[in-house]
Amino acid sequence: MAVLLPYLYTGGVHKHGLLIELMEDLGGYIIQKVVTGTEVNLIMLVPEKDVYVVKKLSDELLGVLVEAPLTGVEIAVVSPTLASHHLPHSACDIAEYLRHPGANTNMIGLARGMGRRVSLSMDYERKLINEHDIAVFTFGSFSDCITKKKPKLFEGIEIPIVVTGGPADLKSEDVPGADLYIGNIGRVSHRLRRTEEINALDSLNEGVSKIADNIRKQQAKDPLAVLPARVMKEIENQIPKIRTVLSPAPLTLQLDGIRVKLPYDEFHEKIEKLEFDEGVTLSELADISRSKMKNYILIKCKSKSDVGFAI
Amino acid sequence: MDSLETFVVESAIDSEQEFYRKIIEDNLASLKLAPAIGRIKVVLRPEDSLFQMAIILREVGTKVTTIDIADVEVKPIAGVVIISIKKEQYIPELLVKLWERYGKANISQPDRWTVAISTDKPIEEAAFIKEMLVADPRHRLHENLVDFAIRATPEGFRVRYHLYKGNRFLFVASEEAMKHEWIEEAGAMLDELIEGGKK
Repeated sequence: MAVLLPYLYTGGVHKHGLLIELMEDLGGYIIQKVVTGTEVNLIMLVPEKDVYVVKKLSDELLGVLVEAPLTGVEIAVVSPTLASHHLPHSACDIAEYLRHPGANTNMIGLARGMGRRVSLSMDYERKLINEHDIAVFTFGSFSDCITKKKPKLFEGIEIPIVVTGGPADLKSEDVPGADLYIGNIGRVSHRLRRTEEINALDSLNEGVSKIADNIRKQQAKDPLAVLPARVMKEIENQIPKIRTVLSPAPLTLQLDGIRVKLPYDEFHEKIEKLEFDEGVTLSELADISRSKMKNYILIKCKSKSDVGFAI
Repeated sequence: MDSLETFVVESAIDSEQEFYRKIIEDNLASLKLAPAIGRIKVVLRPEDSLFQMAIILREVGTKVTTIDIADVEVKPIAGVVIISIKKEQYIPELLVKLWERYGKANISQPDRWTVAISTDKPIEEAAFIKEMLVADPRHRLHENLVDFAIRATPEGFRVRYHLYKGNRFLFVASEEAMKHEWIEEAGAMLDELIEGGKK
């Protein structure tokens, strides 16, 4: 199986279709295409050995091609609540910065996450967070809260947990249950723009990318029966209705699955019966369930060892 | 008293103190409160889930009536009162009050600076409108202060006490049941701030 590398292309709209065609020829995937005015952003998976071909074309088109290590990763940015204490700064700033290297982020505000003694999360919220690949919890400025009180919100979270907070001297080990702690992003009421804040956001991106890489490495030991990107392409081809969905990412890739932003009741059968050239249907290769997010469809690909074969 | 001549934030950990100082500065700026505040002291005790704040305010503007911001003219035969606005910033408040009294149908705005009201008793109404209270900066300040206090406090601290008397504002917030001594401590902070001015 070809190794696919994530890249982000930024350039003019003019002739960007050539790049899409090239990607089809090479067997790569366009994950997301965002057109803003005269500029286009293409997030794509490029076969490793053909990267230089894509690079050449992007240079010809005067665009910029950069690695986007968080492509195909869906991240939950969890703030204690959706009150003005946490939004838009710093939670939105964090989510926005995580999107730079290609991640899809969802902001989740807990209903009762605020406070020290009284903070708690609901079963529904935990399940919703667990649908993602990585959870980033945005906490405040008191080290006492971060190390002693807030970690109870991690109970029941099965995906890797990243914590952001104000104190710069805390270490990841000091926060029980967290895989990574990033300081200098505490509660702020201004846009994150000072040097140390931007540095902190950079190290957040770096840390999250590392975690995503680790998950990929673990996955490589027992590969998925089908690549989520391939499922994405088949859905685009076989369920034309997806093109009418107005969400920014109608098909959101995850490391081990894909979120389809179509109503479950109407479309889950079509998704289950999705056919591949090899003669198998998607229901054999993946678990298809109702997402906790709205009424969407969640596809989680099974691993090769579960299915017995991979396509 | 100069604006923000005393600005103290106290906490057991220095770095946390800096974070809160910045949060308070940002919130003061976004609510445009800095010119109204003379002295402010904030004490943070996260281990007790406690936030205390004492503020001494500077002189604020007096009440604003229609005649301060506009000329009122009567046209008895047409049954119309014409208000020619001089200070545009109070138009929203003025209009809300007028709508309430005369109804939107009876009020027209031929241009940005003019409000015309049709009424049966133009002379009496003109006299009333001239003396009508349009805005009370103290009231608006109070609203902003409470808003500021809630924004600056950690979100989980939902048990709150606040006192606004003369030019003094006191705010205590916690997650636990409010203790009397916390309010007294905050009162002592306020006294300290008042004395601070005598030097």
